[in-house]
Formats: sequence, structure tokens, C-alpha cells
Amino acid sequence: MRTHCIFLTVTLFIASTVVASAQSLVNGFFSGKGRGAVAVSYSAEHYDEVFLVPSNAKGVPIFREVDVNSVSLFATYGLTDRLEATVSLPYITAKGQADPAVLEALGYENERKGLQDLSLALKYRLHRLSIGMGRLDVGGGLGLRTPVGSYRVDEGLQSILAIGNRATAVTAMALLHWQSMQGIFITAQGGYSLRSGEVPNAWIGEIKAGYAHRAFYVDVWYAGQRSVDGVNILGEGFIGFFPATDVTYTRGGVNAFVPVVSGIGISAGVNKYLSGRNVGASTGFYGGIVYSF
Amino acid sequence: MLYTKNYPALLLLATLLILQTACQKDEDVLPSIASIAVTNADFSTLEDAAVLGGVAAVLSNPNPNDPEGAYTVFAPNNAAFARLGFNSGADLRVLQPSFLTSTLLYHVSGGNLLSNRLTNNSTSASALGPMRRIVTRGNERYINGSKILATDIRASNGTVHVIDKVLLATGADIVQSALALRDAKVFIVPELSFLVEAVLYAELADALTAKPSSPSFTVFAPTDAAFKQLGQDLGVPLNVPADIRKLPKDVVTNVLLNHVIADGGKFMPEMNAGAVTPLGGSPLTIGAFANGVVSVKGKSNNTAANVVIPDVLTTNGVVHVIDRVLLP
Repeated sequence: MRTHCIFLTVTLFIASTVVASAQSLVNGFFSGKGRGAVAVSYSAEHYDEVFLVPSNAKGVPIFREVDVNSVSLFATYGLTDRLEATVSLPYITAKGQADPAVLEALGYENERKGLQDLSLALKYRLHRLSIGMGRLDVGGGLGLRTPVGSYRVDEGLQSILAIGNRATAVTAMALLHWQSMQGIFITAQGGYSLRSGEVPNAWIGEIKAGYAHRAFYVDVWYAGQRSVDGVNILGEGFIGFFPATDVTYTRGGVNAFVPVVSGIGISAGVNKYLSGRNVGASTGFYGGIVYSF
Repeated sequence: MLYTKNYPALLLLATLLILQTACQKDEDVLPSIASIAVTNADFSTLEDAAVLGGVAAVLSNPNPNDPEGAYTVFAPNNAAFARLGFNSGADLRVLQPSFLTSTLLYHVSGGNLLSNRLTNNSTSASALGPMRRIVTRGNERYINGSKILATDIRASNGTVHVIDKVLLATGADIVQSALALRDAKVFIVPELSFLVEAVLYAELADALTAKPSSPSFTVFAPTDAAFKQLGQDLGVPLNVPADIRKLPKDVVTNVLLNHVIADGGKFMPEMNAGAVTPLGGSPLTIGAFANGVVSVKGKSNNTAANVVIPDVLTTNGVVHVIDRVLLP
């Protein structure tokens, strides 16, 4: 039972990471039937360089540097021991540092904010195998993400500050999760995301390795997205409509979690875009409070 | 047993490799002209200008009117903009947006215009319309009055040459160009208002208006501040343009003709130190060519005038805006 509780808190923690990083829909842990959690997290990202093709831009066009802050609500619930549902909703504020005179000339603003996209996900464990000193779970996830806020993406270069891409996305992921008796784990997942409108579909993947202990949790992760097509910013076909761009990247990060009092824990992490195209080279951190039940 | 022991490491390694490979794309592509401007720190003002002038998306894409899809851009570096007082996008706000866009288009032409075709006296039509002319001086090449610093930078949609001064063309004749400045159609505040008033007062507008087979001129155009300074020097307050009419008409006429040279219109690199004779007849002293400009001094001036905006092409000559009235 105690072991189960450890994994429960770990599950909640990782799930809140999903919200903060807009990364994988699912993680490798299952809460168990009737168990779940709610979490609130705050994240902050900053970039003053943009990954473009073929070389990067020092300084964000017009806005020079951009800060993205978000507050996210998250909930997860184990429908069965093998099936788990998650839901998340972030409120995002993106701020630029453009010169007021330039903004006035263009009719632009230094800020865009609002509710972004509602994400729903189901994950299912197909098999559990005992391998050596640990066990391997094989499963999959299915996610739906759709805009619920009224944010815009069609404001020309103003939309450098757009808080999302307004696509509805359906994502399917395959999941492998190995963990040892001592608490070491590795989770690998990969899948495909179908996006609506002009937003390119994409392959996505993530590898995460960590250590889950009763008193603390830590992991390091590496993730990526590869759009199957799309235009490059300032490249052929670019008309100032950012959702149509080829957003491809790798990023990595570190997460940590500690339980504080019964049912409540604190999570925090840092993350960074490592390479890519048509995306801000941002570095960020987040912190969250998780209540599990 | 060996397999099961290594399973997590294999899983980790395989996933990392797949991710790393899948999320990298071939970067062996040429940047677009717009991308060159955005990713090169020495073109940051040009980047701002392209955004404000609304040409960033155009210069991201192939030229639809060229078989090769190419544009050629003479790209002023940051120092070029700084010469005009433009150190950032915010500074560009002193320009009317339409003039900014026109000015940018004057730097652009269709097709690949490579450096081997930039020969002395060759001309090329700009996307704005007016021609540009190549001038050689010593071992240097200039387009109009702008030195060509680097050539044949390849872009996915054409060619970039770097220049050290912003190219300026009005697409109108000398009189209409001065009127555009006076009427705040170039800068958002009026300029050359006193000069325009003086030209009208001296009834020289007709002579400086382009007509079929009419001559072209080099014109030194004193700023409003230059006329106000002249008023102080003469003890005749010139506070508003109409104050010009306090001066005798023949004096004003003679002074104005001291600023016009009937030489077909010369850019700064085409001028040499020494004396030139303007229409007024009193010789002007041209200073040494340095940093892309020359100074010019009237016979009765104690101090030479500096060129503040050089090499403005009009349809009947070249105008150089100066900071002092040239006195015969």
C-alpha cells in the first residue's frame, strides 16, 4: 500500500508537468482505480532567440524578448487500475518588449493572454511483464486538445505572441514504462498528432528517466516534436500566419517533487529548448501544488 | 539474463537515438532575403524597417514576377541607417510609412543582379520604379552614392549586396520632391519649408521642374535650421518660411542659384575637391571626399556646409540636403 501511495504522488507530479511543458499527454505511472488528484501549477518561460531556418535570430523580431507565464489547472482520475483520465487547462500570458513607438506604428500590443486549450487524455495499460529486477508496462494513450479561449492567431506578426495555434489535435501515443524495485524508472513514448486547419501534423516523443522514492522524486527528460510539413518563418510560403509553420524541436528538462503533508506535495522543474526550427529558444521553470485523493 | 539486465539501458538509448534523429531536420538550405536581415545583427534596423514597411513577408518568398523567383536587394547595414539618425525601429517613426515602404522598394529589383553586372555607369530599375546607377571611384563601387561593401550574398529568393548608405529616390522632380518634404509627406514633420518658400518667391520653380529635354541638376538643399541660422547671421529673423520674403527678391534668387549646378546631377562619389560653378556664377568650394560625402562652401561662408542627407535621386537631378545656406 505504501508503495502504491508513492506511485500515486509520482503520477500526480508528472501529470502536472505535462501541463507546464505542453509535452506528452501521458506518463508511465498509473494511480489506480478511484484515485486521482488535482493540481495547480505556475510556469515561466523566457526567450530572446528564435530557432529559424537555417540560422537562429538573436532577438525576437519586433518584440525583442518574450516572457510566457501560465497558470494551469490539472486533474487526473483512475477509472480502473488500467485506465486513467486526465484533463488540463492553462491560462497563458505572453509579453514582449517591443518599443512602444514601434507598436504604435504597427498597431500591435506587447501582450496577449487568455485561456488556451483544454486537453483531455486517456491512457491504458495493455500488459505488465516482469523483467529482471523490475517490471515493464506496455500501454498507450489517446488525447484530445482543443481551444477553449478566444485567443487569436491571425494577427500577422503580432501573433509572434499568440498563446497557442488554435488547432484541435488528436494524439495517439505508444507507451513503455520500466521500473525497478528500487524506484528507478524509464519511460519511453512516441506517437502521432493529427492537427486541424493549417497546423501541420507531427510526430512526438519523449524519454524520461528518474528515481521515485517515498521522500522525493526526481527525473530528467528529453522530448521532441517533428512536424511532417509546414512553412518556415521568413521562408517560402510564409505569409505571416504562424500556425502553418513547421514547428520542430528537441527539449529537455529536470523535474523534482516532494510530499509535504498528507495528500499534498510540491513539484518544480526547469526545461529548455535545445534545438529546433520556428520556435522560441526558451528556457523555463515551473512550480506546482498537488493534492491527491 | 544479459538481455534482461540491459533492457532499460537499451530502451533509453534507442528512444534517445530515435528522438534525436527524428527531431533534427536537414538545415542545408539557403536563408531567404528576409531571413538574412532578421538573423544578421548588422541588419537589425533594416529588419525593423522591413517590418514597419510591410515587406518582410514579400521578401520571404520567391519573386512571382521573375522566372528564377529572385529579387536583388541592396541592403543598408545599421551604420547606413544610423547616418540618417535611425538607430532602431522607433527612430524610423519620423518617416511617413508610405515613404518608408517606397524607400525600401528602391533597394529592391527583380531577378538576380550579380556583382559582375555592377559595372561603372550601368543602371538597374528598382521595384519602386526609379533607376539606380553604378558609380566607381578608385577601387570602390557605389550604387548612386552608397558604397557597396559586400556582394553576391546568396539567398533562397535572390541576392543581397550590402551598402553603407540608405538609397533615396523620390520618383518626382526637384520641386515636387521639395514640396513633398515641406508637406510632411516624407518626414512626419515638415522640412525644406524655407527652401520651398524661397524657390516660389524667386520664381525658380519652373526652372527646376522636369520637362521633356530639360536639364538635370545637382542641388544643395539647405534645411529649415540652416535658413534660421542664416537669419540670425544676417540679423533678419527667419522664424517662419514667409519671412524669406523680408529679403530682397534678387538676393534670394542669387543665393538660391548658388545651390544649383547644371551638371546632369552628381552623386557624392562623383564629386572631387576643388571649385565648381553653380548657376549663380560664384564658385563653390568642394571639400575632400571622406566617409562617403564631401563638404561644400560658398564664397562668403566662413564654415563649410555638411551634407546631412546625401544623394537623393529625383527625376531631374540629385539633391543633397545640407546644414548651411551657401552664400555667394
